[in-house]
Amino acid sequence: MRLGANLVHLPIVRAVAVNIAMRADFDVDAISDLELAVDEACSSLITHAVAGSVLSCRFTIGADDIMFTVTVTSAEDATPSRSTFGWRVLSTLTDDVTSWAEQDEDRLHQVHIEFVKRRPVTAR
Amino acid sequence: MRQAATSQQRRSSHEYDHLVPLFDELAALSDDDPGRETVREQLVTGYLPLAEHIAHRFAGRGTPKEDLVQVATVGLINAVDRFQPSKGSDFLSYAVPTVMGEVRRHFRDASWAMRVPRRLKELHLSVSGASTRLAQELGRAPTPAEIAKHLGISKEEVFEGLEAGQAYHASSLDESLGGDGEGMPLGEAIGEQDSGMEGVENHEALEPLIRELPQRERHIIALRFYYNLTQTQIAERVGISQMHVSRLLSRTLARLREGLLDPEAEDEEPAS
Repeated sequence: MRLGANLVHLPIVRAVAVNIAMRADFDVDAISDLELAVDEACSSLITHAVAGSVLSCRFTIGADDIMFTVTVTSAEDATPSRSTFGWRVLSTLTDDVTSWAEQDEDRLHQVHIEFVKRRPVTAR
Repeated sequence: MRQAATSQQRRSSHEYDHLVPLFDELAALSDDDPGRETVREQLVTGYLPLAEHIAHRFAGRGTPKEDLVQVATVGLINAVDRFQPSKGSDFLSYAVPTVMGEVRRHFRDASWAMRVPRRLKELHLSVSGASTRLAQELGRAPTPAEIAKHLGISKEEVFEGLEAGQAYHASSLDESLGGDGEGMPLGEAIGEQDSGMEGVENHEALEPLIRELPQRERHIIALRFYYNLTQTQIAERVGISQMHVSRLLSRTLARLREGLLDPEAEDEEPAS
């Protein structure tokens, strides 16, 4: 999913996240956690994105997990620090979160955040 | 809105003049004096037209007038209880923002954008209610399939009901004024100052933002991101629905993000 790297597009990404999690029959806590995590990850990267660039989001739906990867183009290596509040939010809401960046040929940075939300183990 | 309230205050200030001495009387009585209740009641009754007037100003936004009067009266009672005549300000200039804050909070917490069709509102409420009941039964958050089965409706309808919650707070009212969230019986579990964010790199910027949050939001943030409780556990502890917890978390995180981006921003616009 490719959108402009602008906060106004966030509701679309959130709605997609909620829809995927609902249809995967995640419980209501996990649905909301995924939505909040998507919101947090996208917002923090959009802040560092080059004006007019693209926000690229990918949902990968597994049997028991949903993986989300978001990438923006930034003028600096905007990999979020592991000790910020935002990172604590992401790591609380998701099961596994990583972030990295690489420099492209135009000396711009592709900054990524990726996390997995697993289906909670339920006694069914 | 604010201007309107000020003119209301000016226009009607004389009709309340006879009540003013009662505040000194109330302040002079000790906390366990049986006479307190009488004086307090006289004050609340006397200022009731103020609450009614403010409620009236918020009418026509999809909340029944009687509910608004009730909410405004709660705000008035709070104002009467908290007003300190010794501080020198007059009661009306203290009460008007307090009452309006209470009404705004009501809109923010319990009202719908008017464009949400009735069927969806009802669907959302029944899904939310079923979710709460099931969480108690199961001891964990239910899934949409479980909610559908419990209510005897299709999963698609549950999805609709869950999504409708997004519009719940889309009211155009601004965030409430100061004093929001005070007096809520939530502070017991966690000390006020303990936001739990001491280990965080940007906690110097974060702490004041967290302190500015209404008490309930502060509490919920700490329970989720410091004590690592699930939304369902928080809902149970705070006495609101999981969906409400979800909305409050979403809004509060957005507010903190904005505040961290721009530490100079005071009273930033509410995140939609």
